[in-house]
Amino acid sequence: MREYQEKYLKNLSRVFELNSLPAVLPPAEEYLAGLPRRAEELRELSEENTAMLRRELFPLLDNIITATGEDIANLEKFAAAMNHRGAYLDLVLCHYLHNAIITYARHWHKRDLLIRHLYHGAMTLFYMQDIIRRADRTDYNWKMSLMFGEAASYIKEYDRIEDMETRGYIHRAMGNLALAYSGLDEADGRRKQAAIRRSLQILEDPVYHEKSPDLPWDLYLMKTHQERTTALGLLRTGFVDPQIQREVMESAEYVVDGLRRGQNGSIPIRWQYAYEAAQYHCGVRPLSHFLSWLENVYMERDEEDYSPDSLYRNMFVPALYASYLEHDPDMVYSKKYVLSFMYRRLENYVRKMQDHQLSEATLNNLLACLQSFVEYPDGILEKDFIMTLVVCRSPDSFASSYIASQIAQMMVQKALEDCPEALLGALGHDSPEALRSHRTELELFVHEACLLHNVGFLAFSNLARRIGRSRLEEEENLIRCHVYAGAKLLAQSPSTRPYVNAALGHHSYFDGSGGYPREYRREEDPNVMLTDLVSAAIHFVRLIEGRAEDSGGPMPLDAALEALLSEAGSRLDPQWCRIINSLEPKLCAYLPTAQAEAYDVAFLLLRG
Amino acid sequence: MPDNRPFSQWDLSPIPVIAFAPGSHSVLYRNSAAMPLAPDTLVEGLTGPESAALCAALDGPYEAPVFLHVGGGVYSLLPISGSDTVTCLFQDVTAYYNRTRDALDQALMASQAKTTFLSEMSHDIRTPMGAIAGLTDIALSQPGSPTKVSECLEKIKVASGHMMSLLNEVLDMSRIESGRVQIQAEPTNIADLLHEILIVAKPQADSGGLQFVLEMGQIARENLVLDSVRLKQVCLNLLSNAVKYTPRGGRVEMSFAVLPAGDDAVTMHLCVKDNGIGMSREFLMKLFTPFEREEKSSVHKIQGTGLGMTITKNLIELMGGHIEVESETDKGSCFTLDIPFAAAPDPEPDSSLRGCKVLLLDSDNKQASLTLSLLKELGMECDWASTAGDAVSYVNDCDIFGTEYQFLLAAEKLEDTEMTLLLSELRNRLGQSLPILLLTGSDWSQIEYVFTRSGVDGFVPLPLFKSKLAATLSSHIGGAGHKELQAQVRCDLSGLRLLLAEDNELNREIAVELIGESGAQIDCAEDGRQAVDMFKESAPGAYDAILMDVQMPVLGGLDATRELRALPRPDARTVPIIAMTANAFVEDVKKSLEAGMDAHISKPLDIDKVLSTIDSLARGRQA
Repeated sequence: MREYQEKYLKNLSRVFELNSLPAVLPPAEEYLAGLPRRAEELRELSEENTAMLRRELFPLLDNIITATGEDIANLEKFAAAMNHRGAYLDLVLCHYLHNAIITYARHWHKRDLLIRHLYHGAMTLFYMQDIIRRADRTDYNWKMSLMFGEAASYIKEYDRIEDMETRGYIHRAMGNLALAYSGLDEADGRRKQAAIRRSLQILEDPVYHEKSPDLPWDLYLMKTHQERTTALGLLRTGFVDPQIQREVMESAEYVVDGLRRGQNGSIPIRWQYAYEAAQYHCGVRPLSHFLSWLENVYMERDEEDYSPDSLYRNMFVPALYASYLEHDPDMVYSKKYVLSFMYRRLENYVRKMQDHQLSEATLNNLLACLQSFVEYPDGILEKDFIMTLVVCRSPDSFASSYIASQIAQMMVQKALEDCPEALLGALGHDSPEALRSHRTELELFVHEACLLHNVGFLAFSNLARRIGRSRLEEEENLIRCHVYAGAKLLAQSPSTRPYVNAALGHHSYFDGSGGYPREYRREEDPNVMLTDLVSAAIHFVRLIEGRAEDSGGPMPLDAALEALLSEAGSRLDPQWCRIINSLEPKLCAYLPTAQAEAYDVAFLLLRG
Repeated sequence: MPDNRPFSQWDLSPIPVIAFAPGSHSVLYRNSAAMPLAPDTLVEGLTGPESAALCAALDGPYEAPVFLHVGGGVYSLLPISGSDTVTCLFQDVTAYYNRTRDALDQALMASQAKTTFLSEMSHDIRTPMGAIAGLTDIALSQPGSPTKVSECLEKIKVASGHMMSLLNEVLDMSRIESGRVQIQAEPTNIADLLHEILIVAKPQADSGGLQFVLEMGQIARENLVLDSVRLKQVCLNLLSNAVKYTPRGGRVEMSFAVLPAGDDAVTMHLCVKDNGIGMSREFLMKLFTPFEREEKSSVHKIQGTGLGMTITKNLIELMGGHIEVESETDKGSCFTLDIPFAAAPDPEPDSSLRGCKVLLLDSDNKQASLTLSLLKELGMECDWASTAGDAVSYVNDCDIFGTEYQFLLAAEKLEDTEMTLLLSELRNRLGQSLPILLLTGSDWSQIEYVFTRSGVDGFVPLPLFKSKLAATLSSHIGGAGHKELQAQVRCDLSGLRLLLAEDNELNREIAVELIGESGAQIDCAEDGRQAVDMFKESAPGAYDAILMDVQMPVLGGLDATRELRALPRPDARTVPIIAMTANAFVEDVKKSLEAGMDAHISKPLDIDKVLSTIDSLARGRQA
């Protein structure tokens, strides 16, 4: 690799480190004191990386057609170094690199190079899709499928391809065609199984084994069977199809047998689950037996262990357990103490988890827990659970939301005193008297809306914390999807549902002239005035902290108030901008201690 | 006792006869038939004008017929003057009088309506004429501002279009009234006819913010013998009325069917329904009377002559059909028409389509089912993809298993993906020879450029008819059509002169070759400095656009752009400059725009994107 590439990768590791919580949590004051230094270092690293790419990489991508073979080999190495077993140090840049190499390979008719990078390019799209799936989006699916499909279609030229590794990519691409079907619906489920059937047909064909004896056929078969067991997700939704049930059972057996015969004979818990779940879905065992099995597995967990197997046991088993209860209301009720126990333990487990342990797969497990969360009247509420997660994964983000929540409450108080008509209709209260008599309810609502509005960012936190340079357009578009992810998460439970619009609408413009997403419709938001209030408070804190777009750094109060007024009527509701301005004396008193207070609360929560 | 002898000849006459004394007008004689006229008080019993007319007739020379209303009847007076008597014969003309009076009333009403119409027409004509005259003056006074002149011309076009439609309607009405309109029936394909109607009506509905729904019924025959010009006029009048009189956010529904009515005979059924302002019961009675418009403020705001419905009804009746209307104020209107037509023979579909395999991309289940059934009737096999993922999956299957599609049929929109992006990728994957055809209800000429750039070869009009589908597929069988169109697409930038600044020789050659295929003339610069110099040396307006690499030796693209924009010549500020660079950071896009560039295209270049960006910027500037 070139010097700049090594430096770039080193810087990325440092960026990740800086964006992670320290292994040993310092006192809040100490953490707070270190923030400016950390921010400065992050800024320097980002600038250095951006400049290096501009200077060294982009000119090459600019003229990729005329790149030398050596340049291309170097780019391949660089791309490979950025991917550590699917954990990408820089996923989107990696995607760009593969695309550039594909362009080069197409132009110069370098078939093997093209096949390899169609595969790798499609893999980057798979991981991007995996992230955006958390927001219920499928933006990258068909493009990924098209790239895998193109690579797989070279099976027609199989005999003319001499390079074994390239032949391997063809088989892998064919197997990965099933990845495009991740939806938990019947149509996707059937397509996925059909794609896997086709891939298995070729992988089991002895003719291919004879032609390419050096390929790891057992591994390909194992991976394909493992992929086939993911149809359990579909079966969990209540879908019944004898063929799919049988195939899942066959594959679960295949995987378990294979692992048992393997080097150490141990079977990771996820494959044990696949085996047991398949037995249940095929009618071999009843649900009660299967739930008991899950309970036993859970009880064998180690809460200090953050190995993949233990993460699965501690985090995904509760999600699975809840999703199996979902279809049986009696069972939901009878198992409420079990679930509440699991959630409480999960909270503790997540609290102690180090950032480097939160891989994309772990994040998926965590989000699955939120997505299958079951609330009981006297049990743990999802909103409290989410707040803990937010603070654990990003105390900085929590602290900002907390400051916004305090300002939002001041705004409610001021509005009730001076212009209660600004709140007419909020939470269904239609008169100034009714609003004033529900002041606490209104304050609590805006407080929680501020704390929960950005929960969707959790789904993108791993991606965001790894970006150690200026953002690429693709990343900007990806991260913007956090509003959908937030709305999706908050829609799950009664305690979080009232805040869906705050999550969806906090980046939309008051006059519709900008912002996102289009799916937020003011006219359909019953508490639009509160969403506007929360958006104004959040934006004001962004200005103060220097996180707003085009920000030249943190703004002093008077400049922030001025900036706020300049966006009144366009980005923000003018009445809330005026109210924030009228709070200037209070803000003068509050802001100097705001961060310290916010981090105190954050660390208190963080320590449990 | 008066001497009645001279009058005895009238005694038995069935005609009422009364003899008056001249001057005094006293009654000297009356026969029995005159008794119902109450002769003794006749003069007094008449109305003032009739009494005066009677007296004048008795006293003077008889000049004009006198009609007298007596009892329930009307009598005409025939006075015969004698030496000392005036003998008057009264003829009962009640029926004749009433007929004549009705005719007169109608004539007066028509005259009144025409007077009102003329006064309104003169206003309606004067309004656009005033606009045309005024706008012409404005345009003439602004020779140095092409934008202003262009704006004026656009407005003049709208005003003159409106005036033209006013005049056409008046002339049509006049032709109908004088019996000079004749129906010229000839074999017509209703698919074409309907498509032509819809490409006018749908955009009208869209621009009025209305939902337009087309419901297709049974189509017993596709080729009918009819006067397409007049039928189109009728349909468009009903549809444009529905659009005009339905407020924004409303809905216009059109249902269409061709129903069997015996051997080689059909009845065309059309229903146009809206949920607009509707009509009052009173106005419905006068709906088909010429020049009548409802008296309400919401109608007055809408331009119209009040002739449209009369023309429509007359044309329908000339074609042998009839029209019915139901309407309620503020609820909407529903016009239903049925017209009998003779069927023309339907051509046999091309047998070479049988067995061909089609990939259909459509998320609309209803439309897709219809397309699938028609393809099946044509003996074709079809895979139906309702999402981009499905489409890719079918394409992958085909590719992997070595089978082939002969056609790709795509709807204009897909639920989950931008269709142009998907088609462009599928075109690359499936090669240039596969015909890709778009199923569209839009005006093809309006969308042709966008879709041909994405690899589409042609279109099949919606609503879909078997004959049209078969004909379009046949004309593209073997993919010949695509190559022809491909050449057309690449020629689209002809007439444009571009300046390309690119330091890499091979990149330059590739760009010149690819962009050059579109017909544009390209001058090349090897760095930013050369580009600025070449621009300086060129005549003002010589370049239609500049394609600027960002990373270049001597002078980079951003600095070159800044220098160019600062040059003291008018086109320096307006010539479109397009960045072509691998720098894809959000801030790079921003920097390019801040430096004065108009667009930013990332490398590796997507040539279609390059061409479309040049086209939209350069042609936008020309316009």
